[in-house]
Amino acid sequence: MLEDIGKLWARYGPLYMEGLWGTLWMSLLTVLVATVIGTAVALIRNARFRPTRFLMKCYIEVVRGTPILLQLYFFWLFLPKIMPFEVSDTVSIVTALIFNSGAYVAEVVRAGIQAVDHGQTEAGLSLGLGRWHLFSRIIYPQALKNILPALGNEFIMMIKETSLASVFFVSELTTSYKTVQSVTFKSIPSLTIAGVIYFAMTFLLTRLLGILERRMKSNERKA
Amino acid sequence: MNGKREILRTKALHKSFGKEEVLKGIDSAFFEGETVAIIGASGGGKSTFLRCLNLLETPEAGEIYFEGEPLMCAKADKASSRSAKEMLRTLFLARETTAKNTGAVRTARQRIGMVFQHFNVFPHLSVIDNITLSPVLEKNIPKAEAEKKAEELLERVGLLEKKNEYPTRLSGGQKQRLAIVRALAMEPDVMLFDEPTSALDPEMVKEVLDVIRDLARSGMTTLIVTHEIGFAREVADRVLFIADGLIYEEGTPEEIFDRPQKEKTRQFLSKVL
Repeated sequence: MLEDIGKLWARYGPLYMEGLWGTLWMSLLTVLVATVIGTAVALIRNARFRPTRFLMKCYIEVVRGTPILLQLYFFWLFLPKIMPFEVSDTVSIVTALIFNSGAYVAEVVRAGIQAVDHGQTEAGLSLGLGRWHLFSRIIYPQALKNILPALGNEFIMMIKETSLASVFFVSELTTSYKTVQSVTFKSIPSLTIAGVIYFAMTFLLTRLLGILERRMKSNERKA
Repeated sequence: MNGKREILRTKALHKSFGKEEVLKGIDSAFFEGETVAIIGASGGGKSTFLRCLNLLETPEAGEIYFEGEPLMCAKADKASSRSAKEMLRTLFLARETTAKNTGAVRTARQRIGMVFQHFNVFPHLSVIDNITLSPVLEKNIPKAEAEKKAEELLERVGLLEKKNEYPTRLSGGQKQRLAIVRALAMEPDVMLFDEPTSALDPEMVKEVLDVIRDLARSGMTTLIVTHEIGFAREVADRVLFIADGLIYEEGTPEEIFDRPQKEKTRQFLSKVL
């Protein structure tokens, strides 16, 4: 078994690396764009205008209430139909991932804003701060400290969820496994390699986030 | 007090939280330079009353005047006065989650300082930035000038050497002194203290009360909701006893503490003295 893994890695290492690259850029791009969208959605949900609040609420509920695989299928089928230009599978899938992640990030951002003590708002108001200054100088900077660690977690989640793109043979780590498996018929060794790479990645990232989070907290104390 | 300038006045102030009516029509007036202690049992409405004065709570009915200018006028009969426009508004606009913050209210708040029970200092800003934030942003005072002023104020309350620290490194008493200075930096005409020592460890109460006493004696108009009866007796020119959402009894500290006229006042004092 170990021997098989060694042989497979020697032969197909570059293929796995290519898959790893696909996984990484898709997750990173998804989370980055989802952060922008999620923030906007969260702000609209916190605004007072009811119709747009309701729309955003619908978006979030739909994303949370349907399987992600189904969302991928939907975009994969639908996007090429409505777009006037050629849409590759990769673009459809990344769009779907962004659509999915945006809703989760919106919830993260909203929770981060709501977690800021209401006393901070009252103190800001009592000093005569206008709405914009109140949010930009008091609420959002403090919310950011709640949001950033959760965004890191969303990135880790995405690294795992991009594996669903393998259903559509979009180049990423699980697709690499499928390719190697179908060529060599060595299912378990080829799967093990992919699993080890996934685990190493998420494990490292979790540690890294932990360090960043601790540093952020100690900054607040020292600085 | 009649010769003095009126700072704040309320007429028939009503405030409910859900079904519970917390303020049942409070009439009051506060004049320049006086120190007024507001006492009463927990849940009697004294904090709510104070918070209404700068509209952190929005009363359902009543009037508030700040330096003679109306800050709020609301009629009691809401249902009949509701126009079509208002109904559209409630259909399309969700209820405000924070207190009202229009230009007029904001301008008034800049001249009404407030100190909270839980300090509410800004943890992400250094001590000096806590103080200069609002003067720089809202009064367009140059940063250097605001900092000079802040340093003077910090000196006054013995916190100058902490100016570059972050609030997490301050004790409760120091945080509260910072909160007081932060409010003073706006050069308010009146200071509202909402149970400023209730969240403090006992050994830190004195340092905060000392600052408030100095402030009151320097001529600042001061309203303080407090459980520190000894302090109220010592500093206050006037004491309001609030119970059941009304000003039940008011007078000089001697009148209230030594010769209370009403049974409820006596009952309350017998519990706290």
